[in-house]
Amino acid sequence: MGLTPVLTAHWDEPKSFDIENYQKHAGYVALTNSLKMTPDEVIGVVKDSGLRGRGGAGFPTGLKWSFVPQNDGKPHYLVVNADESEPGACKDIPLMLANPHSLVEGVAIAAYAIRANHAFIYIRGEVPHAIRRVMNAVEQAYAQGLLGKNIKNSGFDLDVVVHTGAGAYICGEETALLDSLEGRRGQPRLKPPFPAVAGLYASPTVVNNAETLASVPSIILNGADWFKSMGTEKSPGFKLFAVSGHVKRPGIYEAALGTPMSELLDYAGGMKQGRDLKFWIPGGSSVPMLTPEHIDIPMTYEDLAAAGTMLGTGTPMMFDKTTSVVKAVSRWLEFYKHESCGKCTPCREGTYWITGVLEKFEHGVGKEHELELINDICGQIAGRSFCALGDAAATPFPGAMKYFASEFEEATRKPVDVSFPPERTKIFSTVGVM
Amino acid sequence: MAEIPQMMRAFGTTFLSMFRKVTTEQYPEQKDQFPPQARFHGRHQLNRHPDGLEKCVGCELCAWACPADAIYVEGASNDEERFSPGERYGRVYQINYLRCIGCGLCIEACPTRALTMTNEYELADNSRTKLIYEKDDLLAPLQPGMAQPPHSMIDDFVAQDYYDGKVKAASAEQFAEIEILKQKKAQD
Amino acid sequence: MTLTSDNKATNTQELITATIDGIQMQVPKGTLIIRAAEKMGTFVPRFCDHPSLAPVAACRMCLVEIEGMPKPQPSCAIPLTEGMVVKTQMTSKVAEDAQAGVMEFLLINHPLDCPVCDKGGECPLQNQAMTAGRTESRFEIEKRTFPKPLELSTEILLDRERCVECARCTRFSEEIAGDPFIELLERGAKQQVGIATDEPFNSYFSGNTVQICPVGALTSSAYRFRSRPFDLVSVKTTCEHCAAGCSLRTDYRRETVMRRLAWEDPEVNEDWNCDKGRFAFGYLKTNRLTQPKVRNLDGNQIDALWPDAVDIAAAGLANAQGKVAVLLGGRLTLEDAYAYSKFARVALGTNNIDFRNRDHSEEEQQFLGSAVAGNHNSVTYKELENAQNVILVSFEPEEESPIIFLRLRKAMQKGNLKVTAIAPYLSKGLEKLNAEVVATKPGEEGKVLSGIDIVENSIILIGERAAAIPGLLSVALEVSNKTQSKISWIPRRAGERGALEAGALPALLPGARPVADASARSEVAKVWGVSNSKIPSEPGLDHSQIIKAAINGELKALIIAGLDVLDAPDPKLFSEAINAVDFVITIGVQENSLTRYANVSLPVAPVTEKSGTFINWEGRPRPFGKAIGSTNALTDARVLSMIAESMDLDFGLQIIEDLRMELSELGIWNGSKLEKPQFESKEIVDFKNDNVILSTWHQLLDEGAMQVGEEHLAGTQKSSVAYLSEETAKQNNLTTGDLVTVLNTRGSITLPLEIIEMVNKVIWIPFNSKDSKVKQSLGAKEGDIMLIEKGKV
Repeated sequence: MGLTPVLTAHWDEPKSFDIENYQKHAGYVALTNSLKMTPDEVIGVVKDSGLRGRGGAGFPTGLKWSFVPQNDGKPHYLVVNADESEPGACKDIPLMLANPHSLVEGVAIAAYAIRANHAFIYIRGEVPHAIRRVMNAVEQAYAQGLLGKNIKNSGFDLDVVVHTGAGAYICGEETALLDSLEGRRGQPRLKPPFPAVAGLYASPTVVNNAETLASVPSIILNGADWFKSMGTEKSPGFKLFAVSGHVKRPGIYEAALGTPMSELLDYAGGMKQGRDLKFWIPGGSSVPMLTPEHIDIPMTYEDLAAAGTMLGTGTPMMFDKTTSVVKAVSRWLEFYKHESCGKCTPCREGTYWITGVLEKFEHGVGKEHELELINDICGQIAGRSFCALGDAAATPFPGAMKYFASEFEEATRKPVDVSFPPERTKIFSTVGVM
Repeated sequence: MAEIPQMMRAFGTTFLSMFRKVTTEQYPEQKDQFPPQARFHGRHQLNRHPDGLEKCVGCELCAWACPADAIYVEGASNDEERFSPGERYGRVYQINYLRCIGCGLCIEACPTRALTMTNEYELADNSRTKLIYEKDDLLAPLQPGMAQPPHSMIDDFVAQDYYDGKVKAASAEQFAEIEILKQKKAQD
Repeated sequence: MTLTSDNKATNTQELITATIDGIQMQVPKGTLIIRAAEKMGTFVPRFCDHPSLAPVAACRMCLVEIEGMPKPQPSCAIPLTEGMVVKTQMTSKVAEDAQAGVMEFLLINHPLDCPVCDKGGECPLQNQAMTAGRTESRFEIEKRTFPKPLELSTEILLDRERCVECARCTRFSEEIAGDPFIELLERGAKQQVGIATDEPFNSYFSGNTVQICPVGALTSSAYRFRSRPFDLVSVKTTCEHCAAGCSLRTDYRRETVMRRLAWEDPEVNEDWNCDKGRFAFGYLKTNRLTQPKVRNLDGNQIDALWPDAVDIAAAGLANAQGKVAVLLGGRLTLEDAYAYSKFARVALGTNNIDFRNRDHSEEEQQFLGSAVAGNHNSVTYKELENAQNVILVSFEPEEESPIIFLRLRKAMQKGNLKVTAIAPYLSKGLEKLNAEVVATKPGEEGKVLSGIDIVENSIILIGERAAAIPGLLSVALEVSNKTQSKISWIPRRAGERGALEAGALPALLPGARPVADASARSEVAKVWGVSNSKIPSEPGLDHSQIIKAAINGELKALIIAGLDVLDAPDPKLFSEAINAVDFVITIGVQENSLTRYANVSLPVAPVTEKSGTFINWEGRPRPFGKAIGSTNALTDARVLSMIAESMDLDFGLQIIEDLRMELSELGIWNGSKLEKPQFESKEIVDFKNDNVILSTWHQLLDEGAMQVGEEHLAGTQKSSVAYLSEETAKQNNLTTGDLVTVLNTRGSITLPLEIIEMVNKVIWIPFNSKDSKVKQSLGAKEGDIMLIEKGKV
């Protein structure tokens, strides 16, 4: 199908992050065009384009915008979720590094559409380089009158604040992000009310992923039909695929949705050292894993769902034969245990318990009945936790058991570091193939 | 005269009995010869951990279980002086043997195996107050290797270690602590 | 089946129809599933849910199945909607499994502390583990441990191992009390409740967190390991500490009160009470008088038998031939105060009786007699909750009536209440009410009150301190009339309103009947079974007049009941008066500095050992029963009956039923009341630079007589500091951190100074704290002019 560079089109140019470079390629024209339309027309175009959220859930963006009540007398807010912290996800941060203006322009258009005069870009605190780029981009945009009062004489005012989180994964959950933004402890809020009704400072708020918003200017510029010409009917458009793991050239490949993983793997140069693919994860650790037999499934929301997994953030992680599934699952669970906010019981206690038991398997002292136990615990978390973090934590183990049960059984007798010597699985390992 | 044969038979029975083995127990002179059964429900005992600390935590579950309302317990904190591992100990412990029916529900209820029953059955006296046994009367005597509480737990041990059976005997530090306490008391 | 709650408002509410466990029901719109299920008889297990706190759905214990929803849903956070079909654990495997799963999670890290835990036996976690828990644990790895217990304050202990992170405590502290001293720290499995370094959980309402904690994580130092729930006998009582009238649960074991809890009363204290009411009962065991004492011919006090002591008392009173007066404290029950009121008139033939052992005035008596006593249309808690505008005059709610504070805060948070305070500065308590302060010098409250704009139908709450400010009560009544605003008098002590209704004042008979009114006298005389002439028609002497008369030798005998000399308007004069009188009878619970002056000292029962009634500030009777019976302590009324009997009078108030019957026989007075006060305000004269006006009030936790013997509680007192404005401090060369000495001719008080935003030329100091005892050291009252200077270390 080929690559479709839109967001990444000019990343290789010198100072690609600079406004001058961005404007060379029709930067901020979409904003000017949008300001000539009515806000509802802008929403209409985005709705028509079928753009879906790139943060994981895939909710139609235009629809989300249209939920914001109009003429309610309250201030509206746009919040950008750039708190990218999912294991394996690495797309928003490079985007903000290389092309921050596409985000800023997207923010301005979206804010105009939902009649917000304040926008907040919430960036993960551990990426100061990306934060600096975005802050710089916002400053440049202000300097050119693309943000601030009366943008381009349209009478539209917009203030953009770049806010840095303190590095909690949970703050990527939209309501926890809002709490964090308000200066509280980052824990998810009870829904309803949904942010569109009572979000930031109890006012109507739209929370969008950074990549989602960065995709908006090109839609405005080229039209919904252009956007729909890429991808499938239910998953139109292009997407940043951040391929990582045991591949020759890990990196970001911008392609139309529906591109199969096999093709993306080819772009990434295939598996490292020609080793065989063992399993892969289409979009961050929160989605169930797949095996080589699924490699030709088109990367769309609907096709992956049919295969029992999800597109997620669209950041495939590829693992070769040297990888221990037990250890991989154990590491993910440790991540969830560390990042569980503690608010609800299933997630807080369940992740603690699972990691404790999985550790035994890593050391080769797990008991067979404990596999059933972990499965039970996952069942007791899934669907019963407060937010999606719990569901995510309950995903890796059952997914792994589906295809690699024997490996867990082996771990009742043999430490995983014996079965899978760690020095061989390192990304930069030169140790030969098994 | 018809009674004579009957009388003779009766005397015969008596006469024969004189050569049978005597079943009378010579209590109390020979009581050691007739020990009670091993599971006899006798007087209670409050046990100790191997370092001398008391097992009783003053939880009152024995008192709650008692159908005769014979047990009275008051708990207290180990903050100032330590009598048991953990936070709480039994400051007051009384069993009224005028009420006790020896059913043993109390020892079933005890969560720390602090309360058990001995085989001692001589529970009679001529005053009511004497039959209310206090904690001192009920506590098991110190065995060799035990130190008289109050004293600290063994260094670096937590209460759980006591329940896990990791304690074998009192440590030198514990004995030293008691000595210091004794000297202090003597000075005061 | 139709469920409606008790208040009438629901009649107009929209009802919706829904089904729970196959039972169709109609409930008011907005009813949460968990509440509807409970009313229906199904208890859905829960931890974080509390009816008085906003839902959070954090513990996930109350998951139920809702038709049409893919996942089980928290019933504590979801209101029933039209046609909703809910299945609880009673009918749904999904709900049952979900709850069992959550229970298993809650227990994995929970220590096996039940035998030593104060909550064991009354623990929601224990109980619900019995219904939703497994019999055997599947958890084989190491439990999470924390050092324990952690001292959040001297009164509140935290055991983090036991905590289920339901956040009831932190939510209570933030939502209800406005004291977010405790907060959840860390995250995930390490999440724990904690305090900031050097900032202990010194909230006046901290004890409530112990009560609402669904596990034994929060316990109180005072009750630690003192008993198990199954030892305790619980009695519903009324709090004796202030005029709020909280319902309490008094738990006792072997005739000793072990602890007190808030008893839910939606009309008054809702689910809460303050720490003073909860923890301050050590006085019941401290310095208790148990034996009557009489002074023998050598002048020594010796123990006496009751009949002898009573006879001596009666003889002494008879000797005095009407030159007698009765001084009461504000802590008596309605019934006991009534007995004194009747005794003064019937047995002593005098109107010299006054319950106001504090700053008071003739103006106040007229105010009370005309606008407070017998007023059955006074403000209620409910009205405060629904009020739009409340004006506070000489009243600091958090310190002087904490339950009013909670209700005002609730109203403020609902977003419809505006509080205006006429006070010298914006206190922490007022800040929590989002109050607007009209900065006012003590003495100028009246001027300010009549000057500010008051919306019609406001509510004016005026504290007892107003009596110290001449003219203020007159102005307040005028303003309330003019603006159609209700006015409510908030006394501090629990017995003041009752004593007022009982006629323990020189110009008032029971039921707001003026002494000077002939028909009022005859009504009362009829019930008392005495001739009309028996009740003197002239108003008697009030408290300060009694003291003056005693010093001048005009009185021969004094009955002093239920009061402490340290609370008197002037303790020094009070002592002089006692020395000047030949025959003094003291009647009280505790030994204090007065008892040793007594010719006859008679012990009486504290609230736990008798039945009675307190009338709270609303005028609402708060009857309570006897908790502890075996001490055989007598009530004041019974003691007076015995004295009267010895004087050959048929007093007829032997038991509580006699008293209550007589009080109901007296009924409601519809005749004229006392004249409305019309007193002039006093202008503040210009004064010198180093002179300031004294402002002071009682802090909730201080050195009060009924807080003795409670070290843990005392540890949560606020520190004693003096407040000055920046300008006033500068004029006197003082800065923050300096010691400042307040002095008058009587004495001085030295405190660390804190400079805050407040009205100039005023110093604020605590009324009765450890280092600041205004009455004892200065004999002064609010509004007095004091000298200040830099204090020496």
